[in-house]
Amino acid sequence: MPIPAILSAMALSVAHALALLTLAPFVVGLIRKLQARFQCRRGASLFQPYFDLAKLFRKQPAVSTATSWIFTATPYIVFGSTLTAGLLVPVFVSQVPLSFAGNIIALVYLFALGTFFLILAGLDAGSAFGGMGGSREAIIASLTEPAMILSIFAIALTAGSTNLSAIVHKTALMDGVASDPVPRLMALAALFIVTLAETGRVPVDNPATHLELTMIHEAMVLEYSGRYLALLEWASAVKLLVFLTLIANVFFPWGIATAPTSQALAIGAAVYVVKVSVLAALIGLIECMFAKLRLFRVTDLLGVAFILALLGLLFFYILQD
Amino acid sequence: MPWLTPHVGAQLVDLGSVMLLLTCFAIVAQRRLSACVDLFALQSVFLAMTATLVAFLTGTRHIYIAAALTVAVKGFVIPRVLRRVIERLNVTRELVMNVNVPASLLICGALVMTAFFITRPIISFGHLLTRNSLAIALAIVLIGFFTMIARQKAVTQLIAFLVMENGLFLGATAATYGMPLIVELGVFFDVLVAALIAGIYTNRLQDAFDSVDTSRLSELKE
Amino acid sequence: MTVTITTMAVAVLLCAPFAAGCWSLLIRTSRQLHLVNLGSMGLLVAAEILIARTVLTQGAVTAFDEMVYIDALSSMILFIIGIVGLACSLYMRSYMDEQVARGTVAPNRLNLFFFLFHMFLLAMVLATVANSLGVQWVAIEATTLATTFLIAFWRRRESLEAGWKYLILCSVGISLALFGVVLMYYSSLRVLGDVSSALNITQLQAIATQLDAHILKLAFVFLFVGYGTKVGLVPMHSWLPDAYAEAPAPVAAMLAGVLETVAVYAILRSRGIVDQAVSPEFSGSLLALFGLVSFSIAALFLLLQHNYKRMLAYSSIEHMGLAMVGFGVGGPIGIFGGLFHLVNHAFAKSLAFFAAGNIHQRYKTVEIGEVHGVASVMPGSALALLVAGLALAALPPFALFASEMQIVTALGTSGLPGGWGSRGVSGSILLLLLCSLVAFAALLYRITGMVWGAAPAAVTRGEPWSTGHLSLVLLGLLLVGLCWVLPSPLRQLLDMASALLGGG
Repeated sequence: MPIPAILSAMALSVAHALALLTLAPFVVGLIRKLQARFQCRRGASLFQPYFDLAKLFRKQPAVSTATSWIFTATPYIVFGSTLTAGLLVPVFVSQVPLSFAGNIIALVYLFALGTFFLILAGLDAGSAFGGMGGSREAIIASLTEPAMILSIFAIALTAGSTNLSAIVHKTALMDGVASDPVPRLMALAALFIVTLAETGRVPVDNPATHLELTMIHEAMVLEYSGRYLALLEWASAVKLLVFLTLIANVFFPWGIATAPTSQALAIGAAVYVVKVSVLAALIGLIECMFAKLRLFRVTDLLGVAFILALLGLLFFYILQD
Repeated sequence: MPWLTPHVGAQLVDLGSVMLLLTCFAIVAQRRLSACVDLFALQSVFLAMTATLVAFLTGTRHIYIAAALTVAVKGFVIPRVLRRVIERLNVTRELVMNVNVPASLLICGALVMTAFFITRPIISFGHLLTRNSLAIALAIVLIGFFTMIARQKAVTQLIAFLVMENGLFLGATAATYGMPLIVELGVFFDVLVAALIAGIYTNRLQDAFDSVDTSRLSELKE
Repeated sequence: MTVTITTMAVAVLLCAPFAAGCWSLLIRTSRQLHLVNLGSMGLLVAAEILIARTVLTQGAVTAFDEMVYIDALSSMILFIIGIVGLACSLYMRSYMDEQVARGTVAPNRLNLFFFLFHMFLLAMVLATVANSLGVQWVAIEATTLATTFLIAFWRRRESLEAGWKYLILCSVGISLALFGVVLMYYSSLRVLGDVSSALNITQLQAIATQLDAHILKLAFVFLFVGYGTKVGLVPMHSWLPDAYAEAPAPVAAMLAGVLETVAVYAILRSRGIVDQAVSPEFSGSLLALFGLVSFSIAALFLLLQHNYKRMLAYSSIEHMGLAMVGFGVGGPIGIFGGLFHLVNHAFAKSLAFFAAGNIHQRYKTVEIGEVHGVASVMPGSALALLVAGLALAALPPFALFASEMQIVTALGTSGLPGGWGSRGVSGSILLLLLCSLVAFAALLYRITGMVWGAAPAAVTRGEPWSTGHLSLVLLGLLLVGLCWVLPSPLRQLLDMASALLGGG
């Protein structure tokens, strides 16, 4: 690649990463604010998560002497893998510079890497909460993985490639009503349920609770403090944002910039913020409408997601003309 | 509407049928009886919408009447009857299932594939508009049949039967653009009376057995 | 438009039960109820004798703008409905009076009973005479709905259980049959275009050879499984023993004798159409297979029964299985044998249930072990039970023996459809004979055990003559008479019907 192209690609990647990092806490704040509004409270400020992160970075972390290197390494691993996964997903440009480095499968397994280390860190501190949270998270992760892969495969089949950039680019270039509405609809439903499960949202897990009976993600990060906790919270927010980006740009890619011109980029960025906000509002609404499921019922829900994804895949083949 | 080409129309009809199938799956995955009744009402509304779409695209007038009847009878009257039955019986959830939810869902997925397999030889020369709907209709019938075996409460079995009838109506609309009107009316009448009879019956069952758990109906044996 | 006598007869056929049913809801005294019942039944019989005469001379009859179609097959079924229905109405006179006298039935529930009974009759008649397969389906489903409360009439726990099973299983089965009807309509539309008369039997018979074989095969499988549930073929039979055991005796008689026959009629109608497009081997093998399985399994279960009503129920399954084998094997002997078997079985089974009902009323138990000495207590019913039991066991002087032998002969000569080879044929004949021997032994043993012996002291003796005995006499005479002489109109009707089904 000629040098200016490399430079512009690098600049684009940096902008991509910065966008993800800055937007993630905003999305979390938006969901919390909307929840509060629906519950007729005023709620904290929209930018409260930023203040929380800043506060946490300033504080000194306290690390238990019973832990190993895994405990201190995990926040960085999780943060790094989540951000790398985020770089694979098109945000405001359909052709991501890093698209050569990984496709959907890489995405799924980067997230899995983060989850794996988080479970280990939960076990590492030796407290009961961490182990309990880790085992619950393991159940959920093992059930969401097939559903996520199948639903993404359904989409990959309709677009003809597993490379996310290729999928988004191809879908964005088509005008009018998308073809194959049925497999897409089912994959969307499956992926939405998977999002709720993987990011620890109601009805799978309550992100605001610290009750022993109900924690999953919170249990695993219970021992963390200071900058470690900040990194983990930020990573969890980025994970949520990446999933929302995945849904927004793979299923509704219209508006995304298909060529890196500055005007298209501006429109792409604006459209992206709007789409993600809408999805965040939807999640906030769902969190208000439904109660958290008992752990044994979560398997039912994820079974539904799996079946939906499977059917989406099936219908892609069957409903062809 | 110029964008409503036959191709797009076929896709929309497919979409409607698949929404029906999704509500079927939702009914199978549900434990609360009132949610099952609501889902059935929703399914009937989707069915009416799909039927209206087919009527609009093919110009068959009498499907409109059948669709209106579907909404009226299966979307309002029967769910009301069922809700009243549930209230009076004070049953709210399915406590024990013969087949648990994830396994039921997998079996239903297999039934969908079976339905497509069975109807493959006859689908290949159907009208463009509603080919896949016939297979989905058979899938819904089979799923309703399976739900009847896999659940124990009498009310759930009744809902499963009504789901089967919905699937049959979809099949009739898809394959033949609706049956002759007199047959449609007869079928509606039958379904309504069946629902009423079953409603009365569950009351009697409750009085006699103090429960509507059909697993308790085991006194008659070989 | 000239209103011929036939059209009027058809109108009477349909209106009489309907009017009688509605009127029954308003009547106060039970005597009037019975009178209305007998009156409408008499009208029904008269109407169908008229129609049968027309059919014998003219062939098929259509009426009311092709909504009604009656040919020799429908006529025969109407004949069964009429005779058994008339006998049942006579029997109900004494049976229901006894029940009301005992206080088992509140007098105002009697109205409901008769209303449901008439609706049941109407639905069966409609199923037999309807031209459209769809209307036929609606009518058969209506029979299920009408009889559910009749079966659970006593409101005991077992009755409710039996009624629920019946409702659910039969409705589910019949829904599958609806899918078959939809497929039939689909195949017919592709030939005839979008016409609402495309489901009419007359139209379908006309274009049968042009219909697509694949679709018809699938349609027939669904129709057979669906209506087969109503007939009580194994493995869709699990509702049958419970329903027959718990229903009041007249209802059980109608179910066993008539309803099963109407369901068989529905299967035969579709078969007639399907066989012209697909080779008769396909439907024949299906019918024969299910028939054989039903026959064998029912005979085995017959051995285990200790409730005499359930025993009669399994005997029903057995005989229906045999008739199915006859139809499946095909050929002139097989089909004639099957049809003749349907007629005889209807009479024998209803006679058996009437006698059983009397015994139940007197002895107040359904256990075979507790019933002894009926001959000394109720000689009339004992004779009826003996005659019916021997007939059902297919003993030589009775007509059921003749029809069973015809079916076995057909099996021997035409062989099993579907290429089973001579081994398969001889094996199935052996199975048939063995199972009928088993059923024969079981029935005979149990019935003689009931009829003879010392009666328990608690049972009141003596059987005063009542209207109910008229029905016993009627059916008994028919059963005995049919084995000596087959009246020529009946024989002609049977011949025409079997010719229609491809056995000519």
